[in-house]
Amino acid sequence: MKHTLIHLNSSPYSSLACKEGLDLALVLATFEQPVDLCLSGAALALLTLKQNPTTEQGKNLHKLLDGLEFYDIENVFIQANQRLDPNTTWQGIQPLNDAEWHAMFSHYPQVFRF
Amino acid sequence: MQYTLFITGSPYQSKACHTALRFIRAALNTYPNSIKGVFFYEDAVLIGNQTAQPPRDEINLTHAWQEIAQQHNVPLYLCIAAAVRRGIISESESRRYELDQHTLADHFQLEGLGTLVDLMNTTNNVIQFR
Repeated sequence: MKHTLIHLNSSPYSSLACKEGLDLALVLATFEQPVDLCLSGAALALLTLKQNPTTEQGKNLHKLLDGLEFYDIENVFIQANQRLDPNTTWQGIQPLNDAEWHAMFSHYPQVFRF
Repeated sequence: MQYTLFITGSPYQSKACHTALRFIRAALNTYPNSIKGVFFYEDAVLIGNQTAQPPRDEINLTHAWQEIAQQHNVPLYLCIAAAVRRGIISESESRRYELDQHTLADHFQLEGLGTLVDLMNTTNNVIQFR
């Protein structure tokens, strides 16, 4: 059993990449594989509260975040210097400083990027 | 050492399928049993579309991967959810969706992500091409 990091870097609304990365995370967790998430770049939009996308804009992937704990996905990392507004950002994230962020990628035997 | 190849890049918008093809040829020529399976996910599943017709003066990537599967007995898995969403439909899925055609190319098979989990747990490393 290998600990997997799924790195989301794509916008949740510009392609299916973010959704398919989350799908993989949930399947790994369903099969009791340890998995953590980290978000950067356009994928940070996933964290914004009160999203209400239309059908054309895509599924509301933000809603999945509150369910992550039920899959035992407890770690969702971001870089600390992102200046996200805590009032409008999902609270389940763990900010890492630059050194921790860069070191993180070598802690995992497998990193998949979406 | 045995590896799994995990390909997520579209055959039309990235070189992921091309680069993975070069990698797998080199690996299998040197170590014939080094690749346990290839799992295509995201837009990479488009590689399994039997109706795609590339221009004749360009590489037919689907045929190239089929040759790998035939010559080296390497299974080529397409994520079933990603594939069906994109119109890559096997004969059995065609019946399930009550369609009158199927589009899955020979030597590719539709499998769930559980197959990827199994490959991850039974090979030394997974190499992603995106």
